[in-house]
Amino acid sequence: MSGPTVPAPTTTTAGRARKLINGRIASLFLILALAIGITAAVNPRFLGGSGLTDLLIGSAVIGILAVGLTPVVIARHIDLSIASTTGLSAYVTLSIVVPNGWGLWQSFAIGAGIGLLVGTVNGLLVAGLNIPSLVVTLGTLSIVRGILYFYSDAGRFTPDVIPPSLIAMGLDTILDIPIIFWITLGFALFAAWWMRYTPVGRDLYAIGSNPPAAQLVGINIFQRTLLAFMWSGLMAGIAGVLYIGQFAFVDASAFINQELAVVTAVVVGGVNIFGGSGTIIGALLGALLIRVIAGGLVAVGVDPFWQQAVNGVLLITAIGLDRILALRSQAKIQRIREDRVEEQSWRE
Amino acid sequence: MTGLLMRGADKPKSVRRFTWDVTIYLILAAVLLVGFAINPEFGTAFNFSAILANMGEIMLIAMPMTLLIISGEIDLSVASIVGLSGVVFGYTYYFGGVPIAVAAALGILTGALCGALNGFLVAKLALGSLAVTIATLALFRGFATAILGNESVAEYPEAWTNFGYDTIGTSFIPRTFPLIVTFILLFAVLAHLTSFGRRVYGIGQNVEAARFAAISVTTYKWILFILTGTMSGVAGIVYTLRFSTAQWDNAIGLELAVISVVLLGGVSIFGGIGSIWGVVGAALLFGTLEALFNLQGISPNVFTVVTGVLLISAVVIPVALRRLNQAREFREGAKTRIPVDSSTGSRPKEPSGGS
Amino acid sequence: MAAGKASGEILLVRNANKRFGGVQALKDAKLTLRDGEIHALLGENGAGKSTLVKVLAGVHRLDSGTVELNGKPFIQGSPRAAMEQGITVIYQEPSLFPDLSLAENVFISRLPRKGVAITWAQTRDETKKLFDELGVDLNPERLARGLSIADQQVVEIAKALSLDASVILMDEPTAALTSSEVARLMSVMRKLAERGKCVVFVSHRLDEVFAVCSEVTVMRDGETVAESPIDKTSISEVIKWMVGRELKEMFPKVDAKVGATALEVKSLNSASEFKDVSLHVKKGEIVALAGLVGSGRSEVARAIFGVDPYDSGEVILNGQKLPPKRPKTSVARGLALVPEDRRQQGLFMISSVARNVAMEMLNRLSKLGFITNKQEINLTQKWQEKLQIKYSDPRAPVESLSGGNQQKSVLAKWLATDPDVLIVDEPTRGIDVATKAEVHRLLSQSAADGKAVLMISSELPEVLGMADRIYVMHEGRLTAEMARNEATQEKIMFAATGEKVAVAGKKR
Repeated sequence: MSGPTVPAPTTTTAGRARKLINGRIASLFLILALAIGITAAVNPRFLGGSGLTDLLIGSAVIGILAVGLTPVVIARHIDLSIASTTGLSAYVTLSIVVPNGWGLWQSFAIGAGIGLLVGTVNGLLVAGLNIPSLVVTLGTLSIVRGILYFYSDAGRFTPDVIPPSLIAMGLDTILDIPIIFWITLGFALFAAWWMRYTPVGRDLYAIGSNPPAAQLVGINIFQRTLLAFMWSGLMAGIAGVLYIGQFAFVDASAFINQELAVVTAVVVGGVNIFGGSGTIIGALLGALLIRVIAGGLVAVGVDPFWQQAVNGVLLITAIGLDRILALRSQAKIQRIREDRVEEQSWRE
Repeated sequence: MTGLLMRGADKPKSVRRFTWDVTIYLILAAVLLVGFAINPEFGTAFNFSAILANMGEIMLIAMPMTLLIISGEIDLSVASIVGLSGVVFGYTYYFGGVPIAVAAALGILTGALCGALNGFLVAKLALGSLAVTIATLALFRGFATAILGNESVAEYPEAWTNFGYDTIGTSFIPRTFPLIVTFILLFAVLAHLTSFGRRVYGIGQNVEAARFAAISVTTYKWILFILTGTMSGVAGIVYTLRFSTAQWDNAIGLELAVISVVLLGGVSIFGGIGSIWGVVGAALLFGTLEALFNLQGISPNVFTVVTGVLLISAVVIPVALRRLNQAREFREGAKTRIPVDSSTGSRPKEPSGGS
Repeated sequence: MAAGKASGEILLVRNANKRFGGVQALKDAKLTLRDGEIHALLGENGAGKSTLVKVLAGVHRLDSGTVELNGKPFIQGSPRAAMEQGITVIYQEPSLFPDLSLAENVFISRLPRKGVAITWAQTRDETKKLFDELGVDLNPERLARGLSIADQQVVEIAKALSLDASVILMDEPTAALTSSEVARLMSVMRKLAERGKCVVFVSHRLDEVFAVCSEVTVMRDGETVAESPIDKTSISEVIKWMVGRELKEMFPKVDAKVGATALEVKSLNSASEFKDVSLHVKKGEIVALAGLVGSGRSEVARAIFGVDPYDSGEVILNGQKLPPKRPKTSVARGLALVPEDRRQQGLFMISSVARNVAMEMLNRLSKLGFITNKQEINLTQKWQEKLQIKYSDPRAPVESLSGGNQQKSVLAKWLATDPDVLIVDEPTRGIDVATKAEVHRLLSQSAADGKAVLMISSELPEVLGMADRIYVMHEGRLTAEMARNEATQEKIMFAATGEKVAVAGKKR
């Protein structure tokens, strides 16, 4: 190497920044283990018997929704319609499957179709017309739920009519892990792969990280954003089918008002609400964590009514943490610029 | 985006505003006519009383929300503040044993404090109002749940509950009506006839220019959040008295209706544009539609579809019309608008989106 | 002299013309580039070099003229197409993806794949190879967030190499670098030239230009005024080319009675922007703050006014200390700032002319905070007459006005406050000649009325024609102060480019 090679003074900090990101996953694991440990220490019943299985069953639906929402948030958008879509998928799927005497596979196909439909509408409105995703999905949140109320006409599905294969899915385990959690885990791994290894995933990170630059390098923002919303819709559709398995009871209010729990899971899981960074696995861990905290609060004798307030605090803390990290790196750049002026005045 | 039907930069502003507000009131008139035509109960005093009463809380919150959205921010936590202030009101009155007037004041104060917290996080810490108020939406509702749990407080002095749902004398005008009209007038003056209002519009149109115009943006935003919180607190008391119930899930989802009404009233989601009169028209339109649906025997749950469609179309229609206008201007030749210069030149405000 | 095995011509710009509104940014400009050379493109601010660079970057399209790249016509008007044809522009502050790794930034949207899956190891190794070729030690796997500007530029250069660009334009790349970073960038530039690339270096730092470049093209007022091998010319000749226009414009400067000091700035410091700035302006005086764009002039103005903070020093207005970061107080005490960028900083574009003009007068017009449209319109009409602002209706949005009338609206807004000290930042940028003269007349009149005027300007004729006294800034510091009768274009330019020796040489 010839010429004056200035050792990049930032490399170590860079390494640190990178470690911080990976550290986020590690620390999530740590917090998760800690939360489980403390709770179990205070109340041994928390892990005893079917405690852990219940925990995983309870995380499956929120988990898969978090897996769906993550690419959307990474691309600097939000999808608030997912809980309504989950309810719609659960109810409509049963309303078709039950009279026809169909089973598991048909249920997933129908659920997926419903989810994809809602996701496509969201995506077209957001990406096609450049309308803030918050407004669009706040709108579709109520439209989808309203359609569900209209369609259900105060009807309900109870365990005696729900196909046994769906109920079994919600009860059975493989290797001590509930089947519905395996399904969530499968989709999570698939999403983690495509977010890391395919151009679609990488483009979503780029779009969220620096939208004007993404446009400049020729990324098809319309198509990628649409795909993200379709994925989110698809996961919400699948979540609806998992919901049937978990609760074995579905009416028009199924999973109502749960969208914020999913947003909390995603943000607590290290996905930056302002886009550009985060991982699928982190979001899944986030879903587990808020579930553990919810269960833990009950186990240590805290009024379960505090749970939502705790979620709110978690969410604000996570957002604030992202902000602080961003400010730190800004401050560092500022210091570099100050050095520059110092040096110049010294030169003169 | 002010003008629904035209975006000619050379049209005096008054003409463009006129168009938008009139459009809203024309639609309102049309809905009223349809109502009279298809349902005999629609024209009754009772129905109008119900419309005015039902619109109360939405109107109260939509007023400060209009200013807040014009300034370029948003507050999604208002419905949770309604719930929390109602719970504080009911709890302190029933379990705390304080005089009811003090309890009401505490409820409103709670709203102001919630708004102050939002304002602190958004204006001082620069956290982004969407993210912050999604979080405080959960937080404030969580506090409401934590305070009252599954219980509800349903016993209030008759004089107070009458205020919530009775009418003035033998007329069809709800007792809350004068209060609401007062607030509408106050906010209309604040928005359109004061220096404060002028500066709020400025902040929403161009924050940087606002700083150069010596406007303290942080303070203004903070004030707007506190106003929104306080008015949500007032709405929380009204709501509690109207239904004679304070419980944790009061007014859940109301933020959607409020924001729909504000955007439908011609306020731009991107800030800087809108008027109180447009929003008042939109609120009346919204309430009338809801009443009509009710009378036709359609479940209020289904009405949420209308809410959602109104919300989306309130944003889609101006955007779509502007696209059409731009396309037309483009066809008419680029001569109409020339970039001003190279160095400070006009940045394209809207990425052409996607491919 | 610089390395490079110059051979054939690679890029030819001929008879290039480009107009923006009333301003002719390029006038029959030409540029000839050969491979393996490092070519300096010089000129004052507004000479047309940025416009030319933007045409080559695919941002702008020429009104007329030809651009030929490798013997074929260059397809204009698309940044992506420009990149694909082999022209890459490295901007002063590149726009990377902060959340992505350096390797991914280099290969963004063209990541190497095997089947559908991206091969990260290959991406990393190829990036490492590019960094090694450029002789820089950067970890391809670190995130771009927090990267110094110098390193960001290197990433962009690596990207250009990976795209096999034949022409690499660098738009004032050294303005934000430390001297060791500049040295590294120069070595990178030489390596690029050795590989047969053509590097275009746009800079105001003439010492750097003479240290690294082999050819120089000088532009002035949109025209190409000189082309020369670097060893056939000198710094002072280049400066003469840059400023060598005849001063034929007439300036309506009237003599005003100079009074007491109205504004005094005592060793103002802002860590990252400027250092030890002391200046004063007297009543009735027009004082120019000259220098190149980016030298810290606007930052000083913003700090004085209070929009930006400063670290130390003081601002004294009419004998009273002005508190920092309090624009409201500044305005109340009689200070006005007409900012640099009227669209982004000076005006609320979709608001009416009347709203804009009355914005600073709200407190004085209103009673108990109440204000009506009529009050605003009356005020606006009064100032319309004084300033000859042309509009159809005071309620028309200010964006419907021409650039010159927009600028007059901003001036009206601030003159309405009857300030004692008026700071104007690039008051005539991008407006037509006739309006320019009117703005100059207004400034002159303001001084005659006893106001102190501090005028920031990059246009030397304007500075020489209008100012009673001239300060020159270079890289955050004041480098010269001269009276009207001792100032020349060359002297200002020498001080503005930091060529101290020459200035000293000319000072008798």
